[in-house]
Amino acid sequence: MSDIRGPYHTRPPIMTVKVEDSMDIMIVRDTARRASSLLGFAPAHRAQLSSAAATLAELVLKTGEAHTIHLNGVIEGTRTGLQISSETPWLAGVSANNVLVALRSKLGDLVDEIILEGRETPVIIMVMWLDEAQSREAFDDGE
Amino acid sequence: MALEVLLVEDSKTQAAQIKETLESVGLRVRIAYDGPDGIREAIENPPALVVLDVKLPSMDGFQVCRRLKRNPATQDIPVIMLTEKAGPQATMSGLRAGADDYIPKDIFASEHLINTLQELGILE
Repeated sequence: MSDIRGPYHTRPPIMTVKVEDSMDIMIVRDTARRASSLLGFAPAHRAQLSSAAATLAELVLKTGEAHTIHLNGVIEGTRTGLQISSETPWLAGVSANNVLVALRSKLGDLVDEIILEGRETPVIIMVMWLDEAQSREAFDDGE
Repeated sequence: MALEVLLVEDSKTQAAQIKETLESVGLRVRIAYDGPDGIREAIENPPALVVLDVKLPSMDGFQVCRRLKRNPATQDIPVIMLTEKAGPQATMSGLRAGADDYIPKDIFASEHLINTLQELGILE
């Protein structure tokens, strides 16, 4: 759990996938669907999250080195969401603004938030929040 | 009586595979091999669910989905898009067209399709 970064509190489910080859992109996509299903996301939102996770995995794979994608629940107040993140050391020193513009252009409206955290070892963090009613149910389940 | 699914898929091989998955969970399957036929079938004999391929001859799956969701006779029928186009733009296009889910045709597709059928109340 200590590897997970981001501005929000972590909650289950907590899943990780090591991305080493193109088969792993499918596994990331599948894991995102499972994690978002456990949190109570509707099928359409699960489709968005799995596509966002696969896009991050494709990006990671292009670097030619193995990386880990973290998928975990997050809480802020009574809000619950799913966070998808990965360390991106190759982005060290690159303007955060430029990275975020590129990511938003690629990912569009798939997720609610895209964050680049850290300077020496930046982490790309994407979050989608459940709507309020669904969040309450997920929050109660998680307690 | 088993619920009926309308499968709109131009590839006979893939249609047979998806049909087998749907029948394995007790659903009846009707197949349309292009978009216009799929729309006609859905209007004339509304199914419990439409499973729709994106890449279709003459009219793509996004157009078919939009037409089904605009027509009062078919707008409440859940639509699952099953597709090889799995990128962010295609996913959002499918969902904006009104699809209830957008599932890539990969090794997990059958499992995700069945999970979504349960979520949508098509399967118990």
